[in-house]
Amino acid sequence: MTTWIIKSLLLCLLNVTIALFLSPLCEGLMRKLRAALHSRIGPPITQPYWDLLKLLGKEDLRGTAGIGYECLPALTLSSTLVLATLIPMGTVPPLGFAGDMIVVIYVAAMSAVLIMLSGFASASPYAFIGSSREMMMLLSVEPVLAIALCVGEFKAKTLALSGIQNWQMRNGPSISMAIAGLAFFLALQAMAGKLPFDIAEADQEIMGGPFVEQSGPRLALFRWAIWVKQLVLVFLLVEVFFPWPHFGNYVVDLTAMLMKAVIVLVLVALVDVVNPRLRIDQALGYYVRVAFSSLAALAFAVIGK
Amino acid sequence: MSVSATDEARVMRVEEVVTQRCNGALLSAAVPYADTIHLTIEKRALLKIVEGLVNELQARFMISVGIDKRPLTGDFAVVQLFSLDREHLYVLLESSVSEKDPTIDSITAVVTGASWSEREFRDAIGVHPEGHPDPRRLLLADDWPEGLYPLRRDFPYNYRPPRAENVQPSMREPPSGATVLPMGPFFPVLEEPAYWRLFVDGETILGCDSRLFFNHRGIEKLGDSVLTYNEIPFLAERICGICGFIHSTCYCQAVEKAAAIEVPRRARYIRTIMLELERIHSHLLWLGIAGHILGFDTMLMQTWRIREPVMWLCEQISGNRKTYGMNTIGGLRRDFPDDIKPKLLEALAEIEKQVTAVRDAVVGDTTLHVRTKGVGQLTSEWAKKICVVGPPARASGVAIDARIDHPYAAYDEIPPHIATQEEGDTWARVLVRITELLDSVRIVREALTALPEGPICAEIHESIPPDRVAVSVVEAPRGEALHFVETGGDNRPYRWRVRAPTYPNLQAVPVMVANVNIADVPITLGSLDPCFSCTERMETLDRRTGQVRVYSPAELLDLSRMTIRRGGTR
Repeated sequence: MTTWIIKSLLLCLLNVTIALFLSPLCEGLMRKLRAALHSRIGPPITQPYWDLLKLLGKEDLRGTAGIGYECLPALTLSSTLVLATLIPMGTVPPLGFAGDMIVVIYVAAMSAVLIMLSGFASASPYAFIGSSREMMMLLSVEPVLAIALCVGEFKAKTLALSGIQNWQMRNGPSISMAIAGLAFFLALQAMAGKLPFDIAEADQEIMGGPFVEQSGPRLALFRWAIWVKQLVLVFLLVEVFFPWPHFGNYVVDLTAMLMKAVIVLVLVALVDVVNPRLRIDQALGYYVRVAFSSLAALAFAVIGK
Repeated sequence: MSVSATDEARVMRVEEVVTQRCNGALLSAAVPYADTIHLTIEKRALLKIVEGLVNELQARFMISVGIDKRPLTGDFAVVQLFSLDREHLYVLLESSVSEKDPTIDSITAVVTGASWSEREFRDAIGVHPEGHPDPRRLLLADDWPEGLYPLRRDFPYNYRPPRAENVQPSMREPPSGATVLPMGPFFPVLEEPAYWRLFVDGETILGCDSRLFFNHRGIEKLGDSVLTYNEIPFLAERICGICGFIHSTCYCQAVEKAAAIEVPRRARYIRTIMLELERIHSHLLWLGIAGHILGFDTMLMQTWRIREPVMWLCEQISGNRKTYGMNTIGGLRRDFPDDIKPKLLEALAEIEKQVTAVRDAVVGDTTLHVRTKGVGQLTSEWAKKICVVGPPARASGVAIDARIDHPYAAYDEIPPHIATQEEGDTWARVLVRITELLDSVRIVREALTALPEGPICAEIHESIPPDRVAVSVVEAPRGEALHFVETGGDNRPYRWRVRAPTYPNLQAVPVMVANVNIADVPITLGSLDPCFSCTERMETLDRRTGQVRVYSPAELLDLSRMTIRRGGTR
């Protein structure tokens, strides 16, 4: 029992560390790629770390008083770190239990909700618009995420992510899981706040939306939270929908996962760089279509494909 | 100047319409140049005559100019300027306004687009447009004292009004149920200060109000009180950071017309080349900014990369990337180096190739289509009512282009192909600009091939005669730029009026943003390619020393550090 607790805690710590300290690097990588496609040299790949350091060292200015508002950036980052402990990275999820899939769906939405709250609290019309856009995006993307994970649940007959992962490794690729994975990938673009779905922030329209009043350490924590979330969701995608090859060795599996994650991030960055921003109504329409299409995955799952 | 038979017929027709309408109020009619009819009328008949010009002759309103002619005639004068585009004619309607009753009928009931210029002459010389629907301040700062009219002749150019505290622009109240979303005075995608108040319901715009002219620095005042004819081209060139050459050319053409100076053919060709190079780099700049507004930074980076060689070539031709300082009255100050020709042709071929690639990418990008099609619609009727010019007009099916309607430089020998679209949306404006861009490449190429030898500047022996009024237009990338010059006696204009293309185009914004989504406002505004400082004619000039000082980069760095240490005041 004690060893199990220590093992779980260690794994938690590992997952959190990976998510926290690799996410700026991944962001740096995406920036570099973006720059290359822009015909620019771009900042060094380590730039996001320096960005965070600089922001963390700045004066803490707040537009609104209130303990809730004060805690929001830290809470947002924490919520993404909790998400990191709930998903598998190279091995079983550290805090996994029967039914953790439902919790993952909730926790994945939490950071968006917290960002929304901070926007509504900051009393700027831009933040207000940004937050309501964030809410609309969340409401349209969440069903896609849920459907994709439900396909796994239907196939593996379990609500535990590790169960789905095991089923995947035993049974190999299937049409339904491939479609679900694709739907998840499309939802990822919006959940990571990348173009053409960075509508809630939309610098050129509403000057960063919910973040318009944020600066210094508070902005650093929000940014960090977004990068962590982006990376953790990519891990979730590759571990649950594309877990092969599986070697059974933690270090080897972790490395394989990271390599797959980089491939997904490159794809995300490519979509980001070749698209202009959609309008909120267009994005909603898009995700309604994606949600309906992903129902096809459920249908395939029912007929056993 | 000789007037041919066909010109005579056109002039007769205008005079006929005016005489019918004016009820004996036509005081005099003159044809100072083949393309200009100068009518002096009594102000009581103004509205009737304007109605006749607009409804019967389809005249397009260009600008109103308020002139303080009290030292000459004892009265103010208001000149309403119209263009008969098909007939290649300018019609100047001059009415004098006495100092005792400084009012004149507003023509906004007939010409919606006259709104700003009437507000402007009210601010500048104090003649009130009677019946104007929106008689708020346009040009003067909100803390400028009432009753001081800066463009009156007896007003010193260097007067500083006392400071005022807590002044606010008078803004309209939003309609009930709408909330106000401010955009500006500083906003990321507006490169210059402009304050827009959007009245929104949810994400839909119900209307908008604006306060502009934060950049107004009184260039025109400097032109008629401090600088001389040959100094003004440098000032004119600095009106705009993108289309400076257009303004200096336009000013020089107006003075050349007034003084009947024949510009050598080679100079006219070189002017054409430089004007078209400006169009190429300006349209590329715009394409990039439009992409950036939509979050499409890849387009921004790529178009600006394509643009850069043009800037280098301009530097090789003139010594400067921008603000070439090449124009002077009578021609050019600097010849076109012959060894640049092959380099320029090579660069043009490359630009053409890459712009074609960009066009194909843009046309094939479905996300761009959904963001621009049907967005910021400007119907042909509204475009005509507001007298919109340039690509926004052409994208709304109004086929006007100063290069064809009032040919200048070498455009009579190398006419442009006019690009029009009927849809009037942002997408149409994108297409019009890309087509123009490729046409400009053709024009530069043809002008280079046909570039004649000869002198680059006319020899001017006599001084410029006073009391002549001349109008000149240049088709800038953003539309038709217009300079109005009334010559004066002391080696400087008596009145110099500049109208940048953004001036009429910005007046179309309230129509264009009505009922669009908030997300579409930046691109709608951006699709006009607005240039605020052009419109507002900003300029800084150190009059204390009047000297030019060259700073090394290290000195500049020291200077900026000193400024920061002093607490940021300059």
